[in-house]
Amino acid sequence: MPSPCQWVRSVLAAYLGGELKPSTARAVRRHLETCEACRAHARLLEESWRLLDESPPASIRSGFTSRMMARIVEEKELQAMEARLRPHRLRRQVVSSVLGLAAGLIVGFALYAWAGLTQEPNSPIECEVSRSVTFLQDVDLLDEMAVIEAMDRLMARSSSDSGA
Amino acid sequence: MAKAIAITAGTYEQAGRRGAAADYDVGLMLTFQKGDELAFQELVERNHSRVIGLIYRFISDSTDAEDLAQEVFLRIYRARKTYKPTAKFSTWMFRITANVSLNALRSRANRRDDVSIDQVSDFGDGPRAMPDPDCAMPDVRLHQQELQGKVQDAIQALPEKQQIAVILNKYEGMSYADIARTIGCSTMAVKSLLARARDNLKDRLLLYIRTGRGRQRVG
Repeated sequence: MPSPCQWVRSVLAAYLGGELKPSTARAVRRHLETCEACRAHARLLEESWRLLDESPPASIRSGFTSRMMARIVEEKELQAMEARLRPHRLRRQVVSSVLGLAAGLIVGFALYAWAGLTQEPNSPIECEVSRSVTFLQDVDLLDEMAVIEAMDRLMARSSSDSGA
Repeated sequence: MAKAIAITAGTYEQAGRRGAAADYDVGLMLTFQKGDELAFQELVERNHSRVIGLIYRFISDSTDAEDLAQEVFLRIYRARKTYKPTAKFSTWMFRITANVSLNALRSRANRRDDVSIDQVSDFGDGPRAMPDPDCAMPDVRLHQQELQGKVQDAIQALPEKQQIAVILNKYEGMSYADIARTIGCSTMAVKSLLARARDNLKDRLLLYIRTGRGRQRVG
């Protein structure tokens, strides 16, 4: 529950601006008659509000209306130009959309194709290709094994020659 | 045209009533909506001073205020097809004005980092005026200019909604109810905004109240 002073200060601006109902304004006035602190506060609010009158008004050049109507003429010309360009813009938008879609399809297809090469084979042809690749890898290995066997035979011959 | 405008305006009971002028502007806008550009011209002629004056309170620059006022009327022009008179014309016009002003302030705040502190005038419009050597009280004149700058700074330091409420209430004389309709909140909220704004202004301008500088006048 706010104190009387708190309540009065919360509505003081409205009281000073004449925005309170008569009964409420009377209650505020009665309080101000008996409370020096709230009276001082009201005085400060009034003084600071009055200081706002120190701020000078704008200096307004004559001829604003004719300048404004000239701007409206420019605005109408701009709108007319935009109306003329609208069909061209629409055509450009359609072409851009189609090209975008085509590019998307190409990239998608390329990604799909790349993903297909890196996956395990599924079709008979893929299986055959996969077997061929494995075979070639085995051939490399076989080459290495042939070299190793040849070296073994050489070492065996040289040891038998030395034994003999 | 005046009779046609008056008839059109009179049929719109939803438009807030605050003198015939408010309804007349609604009538002008509706006539303009039907294609009569002379009605728009009259709207500009009748309202441009208030719009420029209001914008100036936000940004303290008369030239920029005029440019932004053109932006306000341009928005009104563009909105003619969708305009509905659900409130006084001035309520709608001031809402656009406040939005345009606050957008400009925000842009300025973003650019302020690139501006040297020497280029930012403390006194608002134009270069700092030098004291007139022939003036009998040069100190008073300087104090006056300093005070004007401090008052402007104090207003611009307020949060946005408090700023709008203060400017509309103090310089346009708008009631709490009209301010509430302009900024789209309740009258209670405006009461609270103005209470806080006035407390903030008191705190910021306390020095000038206590030293009595506000009471000094030139000549």
